[in-house]
Amino acid sequence: MMAVLLLVGCVKLAQAQTSSQERVEACAKLPDWSGLWEWDVYVGEGVGQVLSPEGLRKAKAYAATMRPTFTPAWQPKYEQARKAMDDAVAANPGEPPVGRSPCAVAPFPATMMPGFYEWRVTPEEATLISSQGGVRHIYTDGRPHPQADELWPTTEGNSIGHWDGDTLVVDTVAIRNPSIVVIAEPFEPAFSTGPLSTELHTIERIRMVNHDEMQIQLTLEDPVALTKPIHMTITHERVRNFDRMEDTRDADCDAVTDRNPVVNGRFTTVVKPAPATPAQPSK
Amino acid sequence: MFDSEKQVTLTGTVKEFEWNNPHCWIQLLVPDPNDPSAPPVEWGVEMGAPIQLLRHGWKPSSVKPGDKITVVVNPLRDGRPGGQIVSAIGPDGKPIGAVPEANNKP
Repeated sequence: MMAVLLLVGCVKLAQAQTSSQERVEACAKLPDWSGLWEWDVYVGEGVGQVLSPEGLRKAKAYAATMRPTFTPAWQPKYEQARKAMDDAVAANPGEPPVGRSPCAVAPFPATMMPGFYEWRVTPEEATLISSQGGVRHIYTDGRPHPQADELWPTTEGNSIGHWDGDTLVVDTVAIRNPSIVVIAEPFEPAFSTGPLSTELHTIERIRMVNHDEMQIQLTLEDPVALTKPIHMTITHERVRNFDRMEDTRDADCDAVTDRNPVVNGRFTTVVKPAPATPAQPSK
Repeated sequence: MFDSEKQVTLTGTVKEFEWNNPHCWIQLLVPDPNDPSAPPVEWGVEMGAPIQLLRHGWKPSSVKPGDKITVVVNPLRDGRPGGQIVSAIGPDGKPIGAVPEANNKP
């Protein structure tokens, strides 16, 4: 059903823009990536936020694949970030440091980790929509990245792509505050690349290896921060028996509803919310 | 934050069910089993996002203030009365949110 809707969407767009038979045919050649997807470490998770034993095993395996080596110029920045994390853990081992509120959108590449994902694939663009608020626009119409004077760092960066058979090859630059955190214990960031620089350049090769698995081969190159690229492969699995997407970073995710606020770099828990303040009468 | 090695079973009365992003919460008033005359302790039970709960059969109406329920939680490590939900039994004695192993492999 989703595939039919996707094709209908493509056809309507084609009629509106060019009415070209070529574009309709181009739509028909694109892979069907419909459905909901999620990072495989979350498979089997219940209504809480504790990974299943299998998810925990996978998270640890991911962490083991990420061993960055930093340039001498960047090493102090990493050590500073690492010390801040270690200090926060030492100050309160019950509250692991996270550094960003659960209401904040994770910067790419972390966009590709928690939450549900949906793809919208057209000849001109592949769009990845995350339930955690991130939207990646990956232009596949042949355009290059913008010129330097029209490019600035953003949460998701600037992405262009092309199709290599059924594989989407994505090139991303201009990412603001990039980092990767792999959650290898319930709520415990067991490994982090730490901060990377805005010179980070990533290449992804994304393809559906079978009906239920999407494989993302991710390469991170950062000549400022890293002595050599980081290579990792992330698997997204098809979400079964559920087909509804919601944005968990929507307008009701705010300082009132977020009971895990980040205070002094630490992830905290408000077990008893403050009583609601009565509305003040308008003057 | 939460000790996933420990589980605590709490039976009490729902004070509030917050169906909010980023996470849902149940505020549960739990009597002291050793001193029924003492005021109940208010526990904060953290859950996932609404869409995560819906996936597992929960609804905004699954629990309401006044319901007597039992929850199993991983407690906070710092000893405050809070925990991460593991499972819940409703007033009818049945599990809340029939978890269909929604995304586990067959």
